Amino acid sequence: MKKHIFLFLIALFCSVAGAMAQKTVSGNVADASGEPLIGVSVTLQGSNTGAVTDIDGNYSLANVPSDGVIKFSYFGMASQDIKVDGRSTINVVMKEDNLHLDEVVVIGYGSAKAKDLTSPITTVSGAEITNIPSSSPMGALAGKVPGVNVINSGAPGAGPTVQIRGLGSFTASSPLYVVDGMFYDDINWLNNDDIQDISILKDASAAAIYGVKAANGVVLVTTKKGFKHQAAKITYNGYVGIQKATHLLKMCNSHEYATMLMEANPDAYRTYLEASIANYGGNMSDLSFGADTDWYDELLRTAVITNHNLNISGGSDRATYSLGMSYLYQNGIMKAENDYERLNFRAQVDYEATNWLKVGFNGVFSNSTQNNANSNAWQQAFNLPSILPVYDDKNAATFPEKFASPETVGFTNNFSNPVATAFYNKARNRNYQAMTNFFAEFTIIPQKLDFRTSYGYDYASTRAVNMGIPYYVSNNQHRETSELTKEDSQWNKWVWDNVLTYKDKFGKHGVGAMVGYSMRQDSYHFLKGTAQNVPYENEEWWYLANGNGDTTKAEDNGTRFRSQSIFARLNYDFDSRYLLMFTFRADGSSKYQEKWGYFPSVGAAWNITNEEFMEGQTWADFLKLRASWGMLGNDKVAASDGFASITTGNKASGVFGSLGSGIGVVYPGYYDNSFFSWLRWEKVAETNVGLSYQTLNGRLSAELDWFYRLTTEAVISPSTPIFGNALAGNWGKILNTGFDISLNWNDRVGDFKYYVGANLSTLHNEVKALRGGLQYIIGGRTVNKVGERMNSFYGYEVAGVYQTQAEIDADPIAVANGLEPGDFKYKDQNQDGTIDGNDRVTLGSYLPSVSYGINFGFSIKNFDFAISTYGQAGAKMFNRKRQLRYAQSNYNFDHDQFEHRWTGAGSTNEYPSAKALTKSWNVSSSATASNSYFVESADFFRIQNITLGYSFRNIKMGNYTMPGIRLSLTADRPFSFFSANTFSPELTGTDGVEGWDTQVYPLSSTYTFGVQLDF
Amino acid sequence: MKIKFHKIIAAAALGLTMVALPSCDYLDIEPEKTLPGESVDYTKTEDMYGAVSGCYSEIRAHNMHWIINLLTSIRDGDVWSGRTDDQGDLVAMGNKYQYNSSWWGVNETWRCYFQIIRVCNEALLMLDNFAANITNENDRTTYRSYCGEVRIIRALAYYRLAQFFGNVPILFDNYQDDFTPSTRDVVYEYVLRDLDYAMQNTPKVRPNQMAHVGAFSGYTAEALAAKVYYQMGNYDKVRELTNDIINSGLFELYPDYYQLWKIPGRLCDESLAECQVTDFGMGSGDYVGVDQFFNCAGPTISNDNTVLKSTGGWNFVGYFDSFRDWAIARGETVRATTTFLVGGTTTPSGDYVKPAGNPNNTNVWNGKWYVPLEQFTEGRTTYGSNNNVRILRYADVLLMNAEAKVRLGESGDAPFNEVRTRAKMPTITNVTVDQILDERRMELCCEWGERYADLIRTGKAAEVLGANGWTPDKTYFPIPQTQLDLAPDLLNPPYTSLNH
Repeated sequence: MKKHIFLFLIALFCSVAGAMAQKTVSGNVADASGEPLIGVSVTLQGSNTGAVTDIDGNYSLANVPSDGVIKFSYFGMASQDIKVDGRSTINVVMKEDNLHLDEVVVIGYGSAKAKDLTSPITTVSGAEITNIPSSSPMGALAGKVPGVNVINSGAPGAGPTVQIRGLGSFTASSPLYVVDGMFYDDINWLNNDDIQDISILKDASAAAIYGVKAANGVVLVTTKKGFKHQAAKITYNGYVGIQKATHLLKMCNSHEYATMLMEANPDAYRTYLEASIANYGGNMSDLSFGADTDWYDELLRTAVITNHNLNISGGSDRATYSLGMSYLYQNGIMKAENDYERLNFRAQVDYEATNWLKVGFNGVFSNSTQNNANSNAWQQAFNLPSILPVYDDKNAATFPEKFASPETVGFTNNFSNPVATAFYNKARNRNYQAMTNFFAEFTIIPQKLDFRTSYGYDYASTRAVNMGIPYYVSNNQHRETSELTKEDSQWNKWVWDNVLTYKDKFGKHGVGAMVGYSMRQDSYHFLKGTAQNVPYENEEWWYLANGNGDTTKAEDNGTRFRSQSIFARLNYDFDSRYLLMFTFRADGSSKYQEKWGYFPSVGAAWNITNEEFMEGQTWADFLKLRASWGMLGNDKVAASDGFASITTGNKASGVFGSLGSGIGVVYPGYYDNSFFSWLRWEKVAETNVGLSYQTLNGRLSAELDWFYRLTTEAVISPSTPIFGNALAGNWGKILNTGFDISLNWNDRVGDFKYYVGANLSTLHNEVKALRGGLQYIIGGRTVNKVGERMNSFYGYEVAGVYQTQAEIDADPIAVANGLEPGDFKYKDQNQDGTIDGNDRVTLGSYLPSVSYGINFGFSIKNFDFAISTYGQAGAKMFNRKRQLRYAQSNYNFDHDQFEHRWTGAGSTNEYPSAKALTKSWNVSSSATASNSYFVESADFFRIQNITLGYSFRNIKMGNYTMPGIRLSLTADRPFSFFSANTFSPELTGTDGVEGWDTQVYPLSSTYTFGVQLDF
Repeated sequence: MKIKFHKIIAAAALGLTMVALPSCDYLDIEPEKTLPGESVDYTKTEDMYGAVSGCYSEIRAHNMHWIINLLTSIRDGDVWSGRTDDQGDLVAMGNKYQYNSSWWGVNETWRCYFQIIRVCNEALLMLDNFAANITNENDRTTYRSYCGEVRIIRALAYYRLAQFFGNVPILFDNYQDDFTPSTRDVVYEYVLRDLDYAMQNTPKVRPNQMAHVGAFSGYTAEALAAKVYYQMGNYDKVRELTNDIINSGLFELYPDYYQLWKIPGRLCDESLAECQVTDFGMGSGDYVGVDQFFNCAGPTISNDNTVLKSTGGWNFVGYFDSFRDWAIARGETVRATTTFLVGGTTTPSGDYVKPAGNPNNTNVWNGKWYVPLEQFTEGRTTYGSNNNVRILRYADVLLMNAEAKVRLGESGDAPFNEVRTRAKMPTITNVTVDQILDERRMELCCEWGERYADLIRTGKAAEVLGANGWTPDKTYFPIPQTQLDLAPDLLNPPYTSLNH
């Protein structure tokens, strides 16, 4: 029955056939093993006539001229053009396309065949990521694309940090996302299943067509589309599963904590222990405690994740369509109101209205709700010792829940009960997004000259509500009155693109040209209101108007940027041997004082296999050398408008008349923020040299690229001397250079099909220049030093641990600083007999020097199996969790610190004693005057994904045959190997850029069961 | 025919695009929200005080950083951080005179005072812009008076910097790129130049008589100038300036030493400079206050007879027991009950002070910064809420006057005993310098490092603090490492004269 509806639909879209009908051709299409192929596109070249094969692989094409050519194409198979030669029956056997040379790759404002590319573009199909349980599509790319570093976040609904070919900006290094022509900062709102394919433009010659926005690389996303001559295809795809934090950071239990404190300074610390025993039981003599809380365990839970997608797509000879719906629910692993729910709808339709006009529309509507966890709880769980229970009924002051107060054991302002922090947090974002795109394409000269005009509009809004309910845990952790905060953010953007494309062939000369013009506007508006004393018991009452009017406050903000651009691309190929490509973009932006920027690029490639001298050789099926160069811009850096601005309001006003019990008033004041400089976009010049190679009938393929990208005029904000204000300027120079290598092997032995793939990228990152002759700039967390990696950790190099008093007495440095055995011994770098700021050295940075992925998979009969891995080496991270002890010496210790601590001469030369950990010599308040003990290796190796699937084909259900059912089991990130004392060495967000491990949401392992149904 | 037709359509579409290619002003849009600096209308001279008001906000925001509260008194010998578990650097500095130039607090202190200076420099330029539009002599007088207020604020910042760091750079304008320091005495010379200007141009009234009530007055400048001379050992000038303040007859000690430090004592006739705050008399909504300045020093206090019942701070700032014992032995009464907040006791206002969880930490906190729960505006909860920070007091002027007179061979009894009497202490005749120094130690304890400054000024530091590790090279804090990283010329030999 269903089938009939779809046939009807196809009939509806079918247009009148072309003229001069002569004959009907029919036949059967099968694959190499004789299995009939369903849905093969069968088209008569030079016309709109077409058909698709049915469930038995049969097709029938009417009105075929006897000298016509029929094209058979099918995804993953080599297309075949077959001359009719008067036949009325043509049976075809399709062969797998191992070379993929004719695959069409989406490039900026157009597409090209893989074999014609002059630059490294990696394409990932939507099918590869559909079943990976990630809330953001980019999260599923970890380890899949060489040169693309994907650092995942564990928080539900949060997207990963993505870096393409290193870090080329001090301020903003995330790539540009182009979804169906619209520009985005991330694609976290898309479902993996919304995506047809993702093209990653890594080098400047490919990305330069996006000009001033392209410096960090470009990710082109095409949402799902239907194909011509394709019967309606209905697919359901879904999974359910659980997520679980795997690498629990082991903290000291109460006994171990007490042991540390008693070793450190019994006089100073025993009162806390005694207070715990007095309140919750235990015994000081053997340091046993009634309270022994594992705070991480109290915060974590096993959480559910589920995703369901429904798609229908198809096409006739004039129209294509695709509709989809997806639903994702991800519960957070923090025990709190912490989850993410997203419902997306998607529609695409293209219609050839006449033979010179094609029109179309596509849209994605996304609606999500995110309940955010308070990530402070993670750090608090690290800090708070286990000698306190979670709840304490005896604590009369606490309400509404009976959480235990750290004050009960004498802990004061730096301690909070993390379970209470998580529990009393109510922060919700509701996100709405609509991306729409309308286009019209005019054929001016058929097959040669096209004009396409398209208008895209995107509306996104986030409504954030944060309700602070009154509670009391301790003097430090409480809220007297309810406080409601609402934030409405809106983004409106539109883009109008006009592109004229020409292609032609004159003998051996192929030419292509594209010129385009684009206008855009991005605006953002923000309105925030707060009020206190809002009744909070019922969510329906959460309105600012219900609060105390005197406390109601509002603030707002907004930006609006416009741009217009002219761009062009010129291709030339000679005999498919020599390929040349030029692109150029002129970008005008309202954001900067200097309005216009110009971004050229050039690329060339040599298809060696097409040379005469290569004829008859067997060592290469395909060999191409490529070289390219281009200029890019990064306009993500802040716009300094060239305005000297003043600060006003209460914070800039003095108070007068606060005399006795009189009430003071503010006199409206202002002061000048005259620190500004004129900022421009950052500039990147990149050279890429590479080769593509395929051999052994396409079973072995290799891609190798070397790149050298230099950012100039990088915006950096060194502090001004004396005042310490950050003053931004286009002063920096950053180099990123390295290799991207990928190797793939695939083959079949009878029914056994398998593949093995490996990819590897190396990265050398170096700060080449800072402001003028400045040699280094020290930030709050890291240093940028000429000749070293960006964002390097900075501090003293631990040479060992003082073991004996004799060693102390013999060392003037130890004597001068009043050290004792168990304290760190720092390397006196300049050998001047003192340890001071001049003895600090760089201690590594969070940028890996090598990242790699290895993939393997096979299928035999109905089984399929795939495993992928991901790893990095050469990266460091800063254990801020440990360093925070500078502020509070009796924070809890992690188990590693306890287990390996110095306990006497000869015990260890790497870890300090318990006492040393409470001294500022060993635990500095300044991260950039810290020491190498706090800098840990961020290297890891991870089994990224394991999938096992079983497929049923052509299941008869009465008189309906269901084409396929696939059941699968997936383990995502099941095993990770690393040495750092952290939940995960993957650190995201602004903290992550600098490798700062503090309140990181732990990554989890996800295990899912998936079903795919084809109707 | 057909081809021609759609060519026309396409050409028309193309043409339309070209027409739509907008002119260049499509990109010329103003940035959203940002007020251009030029929008200060310098012709509206009635708005002139806004620039001065901005400088007072800087005192509140930067001079009253909580870490400055601790750092000013930590080296007194009578006061310590009060906590061993938090900010270990502070303990090492206060108890052992071990200075860590990489510690954030030293850098924050530096930055805070130079921020005040930066804003003051900028405010003086803005006032000059207004002055260009002034047409009558009345407004010109007002302009000079305002410039005087800004200069007092700037002078205060430099004075504190010189006390902390000794030699510091003088920033004659904000764009200067020479950061070579000047010697402490050159900085003082520059400070006195600002204060002289203010004494001549800003009204000689009490701050609470100023048009903007509580603004710094000519007498604020004079008192501060006296302090500068005092540090320099120029007792002639100290006597001259303090005599002038005393002889004005405008100032008098607030009779109740306990309430002097509470809400009723705000901006009383004893006050020469105060940092004002306000909660607008409201229990919720904006609070324009001093961040954590009081809160950092607060123990937990409770009183069931009040609405709030309990509040508390971070438990920093403790008096050594030895100091309290000394005070009690002197027979101190109201000054002792006011100054010492003793854990486990109840204050005169009926608030119970919770003892320290750990007796190895302090059990005596600074009562000068304590506001009784009964004086809280209902709804406000932060320790010390709504209290002004006392910066300069007439009692200090009297004691400086007494010391100058004694050192110059006159009797200092009258001003000295005025302070004693208010404190309900017996009067003394033929008072000596040492007795005055003891009086200062008690009267001014925990106020802006007066005790430490006295020990340095009189050369007694080695004798009094030497046992704890003080040596003359510990007189000043080191220049923060962060600043040395940014401006290596801070290590240049300092300028020994004011050449600007």
